[in-house]
Amino acid sequence: MATRLPIGASAPNFELTDTHGRIVRLSDFYGKKFIVLVLLRGFI
Amino acid sequence: MRQDYAQFTSRNAEIIAIGPDGPNAFRRYWQENDLPFIGCPDLRSRVADQYDQEFNLLKMGRMPALFVIDLEGKVRYQHYGHSMQDIPPNASVLSVLEQLQTKKGG
Repeated sequence: MATRLPIGASAPNFELTDTHGRIVRLSDFYGKKFIVLVLLRGFI
Repeated sequence: MRQDYAQFTSRNAEIIAIGPDGPNAFRRYWQENDLPFIGCPDLRSRVADQYDQEFNLLKMGRMPALFVIDLEGKVRYQHYGHSMQDIPPNASVLSVLEQLQTKKGG
């Protein structure tokens, strides 16, 4: 079995550029918003 | 998820969708579908690797996965899809968010 992130684990921080060209950092949301993170399989 | 976006924001949640497609494909898809939440291309699947997103059997792609992350940056809910279409219904995710709110308030 592959490893999986357990409940209660710290979510790995990331920094990506969104569709509007803005930098999105997970850590920017700490203390402000809950995050629903969806990992897509790709559009094709 | 587009239709229910307001229900997520009213629960103090933001949706971030990350995928393996390129920036242009991503932008086009977001524009065509008028998606209100955050979309980020992850071309080298760096984030997908960090979150242990699983490959399908033929290693041609990955299974979808969904996480709810709380205000302290901790994973409070995780769902690793068993098939390409296996994503939890919005109602389940919204109820997870609701439980997290009450926990915090109570």
